[in-house]
Amino acid sequence: MMNEEYICRCEEVSRKEIEEAIEDGARTIAGIKKRTRAGMGLCQGRTCRRLVSQMLSKHTAPEDVLPDTSRSPVRAITVREIIDGEDR
Amino acid sequence: MQTSDVVIIGGGVIGCSIAYHLAKRGIPAHVIERDDIAMGSSGACDKAVLLQSKNPGIHLELALKSVKMFPELQKELDTDIEFLNHGGMIAIQNEKQWQVMEGFVERQRKVGLDVRLVDKDQARALQPAFSGDIIGSTYSPMDCEANPIYLSLGLYRGAKKLGAKFSLRTEAKSIKLEKGRVKSAVTDSGEILCKYLVNATGAYAQFIGRMVGLKIPIVPRRGQIIVTEPVAPLLRGDINCARYITAKFRPELLGTDEMAKLGVGLSLAQTVNGNILIGGTREFVGFNKGTTHRALKAILKHATSIVPALKDIHIIRSFSGLRPYTPDGLPILGEVPEVPGFIMAAGHEGDGIALSAITGRIIADVIADGKPADDLNIDMSKLSLERFKEVDVDEFWQSHNCYGYAL
Repeated sequence: MMNEEYICRCEEVSRKEIEEAIEDGARTIAGIKKRTRAGMGLCQGRTCRRLVSQMLSKHTAPEDVLPDTSRSPVRAITVREIIDGEDR
Repeated sequence: MQTSDVVIIGGGVIGCSIAYHLAKRGIPAHVIERDDIAMGSSGACDKAVLLQSKNPGIHLELALKSVKMFPELQKELDTDIEFLNHGGMIAIQNEKQWQVMEGFVERQRKVGLDVRLVDKDQARALQPAFSGDIIGSTYSPMDCEANPIYLSLGLYRGAKKLGAKFSLRTEAKSIKLEKGRVKSAVTDSGEILCKYLVNATGAYAQFIGRMVGLKIPIVPRRGQIIVTEPVAPLLRGDINCARYITAKFRPELLGTDEMAKLGVGLSLAQTVNGNILIGGTREFVGFNKGTTHRALKAILKHATSIVPALKDIHIIRSFSGLRPYTPDGLPILGEVPEVPGFIMAAGHEGDGIALSAITGRIIADVIADGKPADDLNIDMSKLSLERFKEVDVDEFWQSHNCYGYAL
């Protein structure tokens, strides 16, 4: 039953699916994300990043489990807020 | 030391497709990938499998043949590639664009693409989210969509199942020749003897080319794309704009304003999950994969002029991919006569997903039979590296901001 718990709540990705992704060759957060959508949801991996890293560290040296690329925006923002915002 | 008839460098959609088509012919290749599957441009693009964005001629002919293979892939592969055939539209915002698109559509129709111009009312009936300010659109029922990441992973898993070998997190370091012919690939985890070596490294193709003394005229062209939160169905099929076509083929016609400098042209589609992908730019910024606020703003301003309803949707992510750009916009495919055994399969720019199927088939045929099957009817001279023999490749690299890397 442990395998049924959700690791990524936004995209409802279970522990089992992450394990299958590792089995399929993923060794990075980005590799897990591409295979399962974990980290592709509204919170962009804020919750699942640590849990996924922990699972990966069983297969890769912990110091080699690097964070995924950080991208704009940091929080969800409406399209209107960007186009009406001041130029930077 | 390991041995494999064919070594493929690059685990993007092109390398995986070649491995899959070779495996189907009973030739198990060995794929070397320095990171993981679809970590370059194949995993950083939109979802369109477009025909309308292809130049009439060999470009569109290749795409027509390639897209025909997708329904079969959807059935054959164990991975759902989310293939859909919901058509595509190119929004037209002024009279001048209408005239340009009239000519473009006419030439595409001659090559066999089912595409037509529709007026504003018809366009808005087909795509209710379109702004009332557009003057019309093109429409083709033949344009398709697929999930590029799942397509790459599906081909990877399919090839593996049929006997291909993948070494992920393995980097090609050099290529050994014997009497001018490819002898082996040297990686950071050993040497692999091979008869053929395929360069499927996309925007990075010049680095592999240099290992055998070739100058490959491919440079990275950055495309930035924005992802929204998942929303209820708003868009159907692929949406582009007339600027997109101009930015792709004749960027000099866009003028010199901010939008033109960034090469902004609209690509818009909603994923199966409900996220909307909003693109994009075409920029020559070397191998820089960053995203910029300036570009996000320009893309979104332009996108909302065509689909105003986007304004109240949240964006959650931006990303960019490096499209492998060649001087004539066509990929470089086939064996290079100066280096027997060295096969090029790169330079698809933003068409790698659409052309992945036919590229896999062509390269598998070239390796197994020396040339593409007659029924494919492909003039390989138009895709060869030799077609650029008059091009000053050093100058091409330099003028597209990536010379420093090539020294």
